[in-house]
Amino acid sequence: MSPTALPVPQGFTRRTLLAASAAGLALLVAGCTEEPADPREQVTSEQADELAAQVAVQEALVAAFAAAGAADPALAAAVTAQAEQAQAQLDRLREASPGSSSATSSSASSSPAAPAGPEARAWLRSRVAEAAESHAAACLDQSGARAALLGSIAAGLRGQDGTLA
Amino acid sequence: MADDTEGSGGLDAGTETAALREALVAEHAAVWGYGVVGAALDEGARDPATEAETAHRDIRDQLTALLDDRDAEPVRAEGAYALPFPVLSAVDAARLAVVLEDGVAAAWVRVLDQAAERPARELAVGQLSAVERRAVAWRTTAGQTPVTSAFPGLPED
Repeated sequence: MSPTALPVPQGFTRRTLLAASAAGLALLVAGCTEEPADPREQVTSEQADELAAQVAVQEALVAAFAAAGAADPALAAAVTAQAEQAQAQLDRLREASPGSSSATSSSASSSPAAPAGPEARAWLRSRVAEAAESHAAACLDQSGARAALLGSIAAGLRGQDGTLA
Repeated sequence: MADDTEGSGGLDAGTETAALREALVAEHAAVWGYGVVGAALDEGARDPATEAETAHRDIRDQLTALLDDRDAEPVRAEGAYALPFPVLSAVDAARLAVVLEDGVAAAWVRVLDQAAERPARELAVGQLSAVERRAVAWRTTAGQTPVTSAFPGLPED
């Protein structure tokens, strides 16, 4: 008898994840904000407010990457991929947030000025850690695909946090 | 006890337990896989693999106890698993570790997607973060770029 295949990501398709929910993460992938057929993807007003707050948190983080990069060009070059990931996370959060749009420009996107030189790295790391903590906490009060998205983004940022040490 | 998170209709103890069982499947595989990872590394480079294996053993045991408390039959480990590629070098070992952690991450994201109760989400988001931190280290060792992931455990579009 041949051994069982490792449960590698290739076997974990979007179809698998959505098996119990036709709506599920497809909403996040497609950016659909219409009323979902699956009741667990319906968003309460509190959850919608919390999602909007997390969009603002992520906007501030994207702005922090820009500010840190401006303060330390070498850092900007070193964290290009992470800055792009932060933007991708923001895009996905906006898609998942009812009423939000890619044109949203909140006051949260204005980030305090980053310290110049080497201190910019530590400053950016703190912003990344704060955003990760915020998304992780918000994840607990969401459900279904929204909880999955926030938890995944929090984990991604915690991974980034380590690279900025 | 019902969760106080509204808007979670369709999620219940059954969906949550099923997802936790799938997480246990992934943790069993990770424990086994790290044996392969460690065996392919020089003795002086095995500490990260040993630490990761210990972490996965701990959460495996925690999951087993949790499922037992729910009277849900825990999933048993397989005797062996098929490797996705030959592991013949330290770089192969690091690549395998990335595969293991990514597989576990997907399982924990599924728990988040299927959980009905806050404690399950707390467990999942904590594990998902720990998994991604290890994955970043292994991607670095394997020479993969970028070393970070925007959406650990989430399926590709």
